[in-house]
Amino acid sequence: MKDMPGTDAPRGALRLMSGNHAVAEGARLARPEVTPVYPITPQTPILEKLTELQSAGEFVTEMLTPESEHSVMATAMTASLSGARVFTATSSQGLMLMHELLHYAAGARATIVMFNVNRTPASPWGFWPDQLDSLSQRDTGWVQLYSESPQDSLDLVIQAFRLAERVRLPVMISHDAFYVSHAVEPVDVPAQDLVDGFLPPFEAEFRLDPDIGRSIGAPVDQATWNQSRRDMAEAMGRVIAEFTRFGAQWGRLTGRVHAPLQLYRTEDAEIVFVTLGSLAGTARVAVDMLRRAGMRAGLVKLCLFRPLPAEALRSALDGVPVALVLDRNYSVGTGGVLHQELKSALHGTANATRVHGLLTGVGGVDVPVEQLVDLAQEFRERVPENGPIWIDGHGR
Amino acid sequence: MDGKIDYRDDGLFCSGHVACGGCAEALSLRVILNTMGPDTVAVVSPSCTAVICGGHPMSSLKIPVFHTTIESAAASAAGVRRALRARGKVDTNVLCLAGDGGTYDIGIQALSSVAERNEDILYICFDNEGYMNTGGQKSSSTPRGAATGSTPDGKRTRKKNMIEIMAAHRIPYIATASPSDLNDLAAKVEKAKAMRGTRMIIVLIPCLPGWGLAEDSSVQTARLAVQSRAFPLVEITDGVHYRLQTPELCSPLADYLTSQKRYRHLDAAEMARLQADVDTDWSMLQQRAQISPA
Amino acid sequence: MTGLPSPLWSDRDSSARLTGTWRSALPAYVSPPSPCHQACPVHGEIASWIHQFAQKQTREAWLTLMENNPLPAVIGRICHHPCQEFCNRTQHDETVGICSLERFIGDRALSEGWQIVPPSTQRPEHVAIVGGGPAGLSAAYQLLRRGYRVTLYDAGAALGGLMRHGIPDYRLNKAVLEAEIQRIVDLGLEVHLNRRISGPRQLRALARKFNAVFLATGASSARHLPMLDYAAPYVIDSADFLAAVNAGKPTGAGKRVLVIGGGSAAMDVARSARRLDRGVSVLALESAEQLPAQRTEVTEAFEEGVHILTEAMMTSVAAGDALGRDGVEISCTKVLFTPAHGSVEATITPVEGSEFVLRADTIIPAIGQQVDTGCWGDLLAAEDGLIGVGPELMTSHEGIYAGGDLVSMDRFVSAAIGMGKEAALAVHARFDKAAARGRHEVAEGVPFQAINTAYHARAPRNKRSSLPVVARVDNFDEVQAALSETAALAEAQRCFSCGHCIFCDNCYYYCPDMAIRKLEQGYEVIADYCKGCGLCVQECPTGAVDMFGEGSA
Repeated sequence: MKDMPGTDAPRGALRLMSGNHAVAEGARLARPEVTPVYPITPQTPILEKLTELQSAGEFVTEMLTPESEHSVMATAMTASLSGARVFTATSSQGLMLMHELLHYAAGARATIVMFNVNRTPASPWGFWPDQLDSLSQRDTGWVQLYSESPQDSLDLVIQAFRLAERVRLPVMISHDAFYVSHAVEPVDVPAQDLVDGFLPPFEAEFRLDPDIGRSIGAPVDQATWNQSRRDMAEAMGRVIAEFTRFGAQWGRLTGRVHAPLQLYRTEDAEIVFVTLGSLAGTARVAVDMLRRAGMRAGLVKLCLFRPLPAEALRSALDGVPVALVLDRNYSVGTGGVLHQELKSALHGTANATRVHGLLTGVGGVDVPVEQLVDLAQEFRERVPENGPIWIDGHGR
Repeated sequence: MDGKIDYRDDGLFCSGHVACGGCAEALSLRVILNTMGPDTVAVVSPSCTAVICGGHPMSSLKIPVFHTTIESAAASAAGVRRALRARGKVDTNVLCLAGDGGTYDIGIQALSSVAERNEDILYICFDNEGYMNTGGQKSSSTPRGAATGSTPDGKRTRKKNMIEIMAAHRIPYIATASPSDLNDLAAKVEKAKAMRGTRMIIVLIPCLPGWGLAEDSSVQTARLAVQSRAFPLVEITDGVHYRLQTPELCSPLADYLTSQKRYRHLDAAEMARLQADVDTDWSMLQQRAQISPA
Repeated sequence: MTGLPSPLWSDRDSSARLTGTWRSALPAYVSPPSPCHQACPVHGEIASWIHQFAQKQTREAWLTLMENNPLPAVIGRICHHPCQEFCNRTQHDETVGICSLERFIGDRALSEGWQIVPPSTQRPEHVAIVGGGPAGLSAAYQLLRRGYRVTLYDAGAALGGLMRHGIPDYRLNKAVLEAEIQRIVDLGLEVHLNRRISGPRQLRALARKFNAVFLATGASSARHLPMLDYAAPYVIDSADFLAAVNAGKPTGAGKRVLVIGGGSAAMDVARSARRLDRGVSVLALESAEQLPAQRTEVTEAFEEGVHILTEAMMTSVAAGDALGRDGVEISCTKVLFTPAHGSVEATITPVEGSEFVLRADTIIPAIGQQVDTGCWGDLLAAEDGLIGVGPELMTSHEGIYAGGDLVSMDRFVSAAIGMGKEAALAVHARFDKAAARGRHEVAEGVPFQAINTAYHARAPRNKRSSLPVVARVDNFDEVQAALSETAALAEAQRCFSCGHCIFCDNCYYYCPDMAIRKLEQGYEVIADYCKGCGLCVQECPTGAVDMFGEGSA
């Protein structure tokens, strides 16, 4: 997110709130008609804020509290296919319990918006920020967005509905456990009118409705299944343009633009950090420190992970000699997920950037700014390794 | 002849479906759909019903159907209900169609939750006492003694008592029904349709290949199940009011068992044990019916 | 493009998938004869009229009855009802009381005055009928309905034959008989009473004068026991005895009557004698189970105080005078009796040392009647003591048909009515080539297994009540009461309607494939969808649907 200079966008009242409460505020403003939720640390404050708002009459929705995230997603899916706007939130084990239905919902083109608080998958059991839970869902057909801050989270929830309903794919937004979910920051909460203007009520032309009479989900032949994925690919292919367009529109309304790929001081960079989520904030400070120290550093932050903005990545890294991918996740036996994705995005480009895959913060270990500064200096001239490089957690 | 069948068929179940010839599930589905009427949305979990409905782009059910996952039938139906309510369609019926695997086994968690929340759906379990759509393996609804693909020597444990489990949720209505009495089935569907909250009807479906039956014998086998009290017809309202339907004609359990290949390995002692199971269950139901509060 | 691609949404029903291709057999609606119909000597479409009656279409039921039998009120009283013996319901609980239903409907027709409408056009052919008993009346009726001119000659003073002279009033109220006969006469029957046609010359003259002749003069001479002197004063012919009883004339029987025989006639004699305050014993060769009389008759005779001595045979008779005692002394012996079975003749084996003696004032032998085959000279061929007829009931003389006791040992009124109908149909076929022969079909009757008994709750038969014994023995009032309307309807509901579609819709509703279409009256199979499972057959409560294999052709 960056402020758009020169706009006269009205700023709402700045309120101090946690990332999770910002999610709940964003959801409230988006007016979902059905909201199934199941509690899990560290998502719980989202659930509690929503139920609190609902019981206070400030949030009108069909709220239900099934026995599991699995049923939450089943309910969300069918509610969405019945024409309702649906929101839910989860984390880690809950998200992974939903896994089967993530495929199912996306394949049926449900337009659910789900917020996920990134948390280490068990076992061992833990509650720490790590993005493996959501990144490991990358093949399910969901659009994936990553938030860096409470304000991001609020803004992205609202835009996610617009995007989901436009391309008819479900959208998942994630933010890091505690670093974002429980960090309290000033958040601009837009007026309801503003949001209503940006996000009109949803009308699905096909839905489960006796007045329409159509059915969905029956067994298909091979060609139809094949076509369903081609159709999803086509929809995914429109996400970047649509998200860019809505981001700009949202920027005009609020002064905050959310591009698929967000660049910081990359124009003349000799080295860039590539990351997503809350690590981007740390990396941004490191960039400034490195610049002050004379190194032309920059930051490439992915707000959109699925579909991967590959073209924008190639363009952003064109001519950049070195990229340090900061992965707060580890795909066992392979490496950081973003590292793999970036390498494949850059594969075959001329004057390829030297890409280093750094496993920083896996399992939620702290990644201080100084460590990133050191890493930039250390890896600036090194020959990249194919595999990932484990970076010791600070204070270990 | 007694008791002419008299429900109205408005053609909501369409010819050309792919149920096995002689399938009692198809004819039960016909009763249920036409009794529910056109203002109904159905959720179907993987089961014989899902096959009967399919395949795309045709649908043998002339109402909107969503084919969901096997473990989430009830939750999926709740989602439809909530969305319809949010959209102001409060009178549209939401029907959930599942098999016994999707109900007694993998779907019981979601079903329990839906029942606990008293979500406004009518849940139909077509109980063919096993995973018949996958070729005939045991489920927790398979009765003791029955041979299946996964219990070739006969299941050693008893059929799960689903109606008691559901009664413990204190939902407004639970019933069992049989394709051998279509009027009774229609009446129960009609009754359930008029109620709100979670309602459940378990329909016994003798499976032709799974139970080893002749193509024309599904209804007769269901009739024997009722007459032998292997499958009692019961209504439970609010989880506490039991109405047990004593069959007009009674037949020994052996008649029911010997009509099916899945029990043909049983010896007399094993049959006697199954008769004892049936007698115990029947007397428990009788006691429940007698002590039902007014 | 903004919307979800519609290809994911199923948008058509499954009617384009023709599942009929799965099938190897196709059901078809059939109407196999019911076993009662098969057993009925008049082949009286029993399942049809009972169903009509059960639907409270009593007049329609009567019209169906009248297709085959013009005397339902009579037959409903006296028939030996083999239909009931073969009733499929006997394998479920008890037979349907077909006979009592026939009587109920027959009585209703009489009390309502229902008539058969004569045909609007008259045929040119003129048929003579000789004999006004059940066979002759039945033939006359069937011919009149078909437009024939019919002239009936009877030797007696009134029509009815054996029904009038041989059956006592306590079994058959003569007012009923007269009313049903009158209804036939009213169709335009030309009747010549007291006109005995005797000898070949008269018969040949009739054959020349008329287009056809139907001869039904019955078996009018008694079969004789060799050891009995029929000229003795203590012997009375059973036919004479019954005729006198029926005419209300003195019978000449003494105080103690011994009836010989085990059939209906013997019972009629015995029970009539009881009503005339005679002490009555019956001597029969058969065991109690073998007695050819109807079970009810035997039971009622017993109730009325008739002593029935079974498996016993008279060996000699000594007139009382010779021994200085009153009456006659009848020496008897117990026997083992094997009735005739097919071509095997009956055997009688006296049991040694079982001899006993009876005393009586009068002996009335009632061991059956025989035909005087010789009275027609060479005109009609005879065989085995009967007039020989072909399958069409025509005698050896072209144009002369014969029926009833003349041609058959089935000495039952219903059998005679059946033969009268058959002869009439044969005559009709002779003159109207277009007429369907309408002979009794030889198809298999509906087996019990074809009936789905789940649709027929077990229910005891609704029986006729009988007069209490004390109210019977001093009069000739009818013993068997009619069924009440409620009981009759309940009894009709018990009928399986074997082989008759009762439009219950089971086939329609039990088709999992919606492959049965309802028609205005009935159903049809939609071959495009029928998978050939046979549930419609299985769930048919009456056996009116069956599967027929479809070859690969």
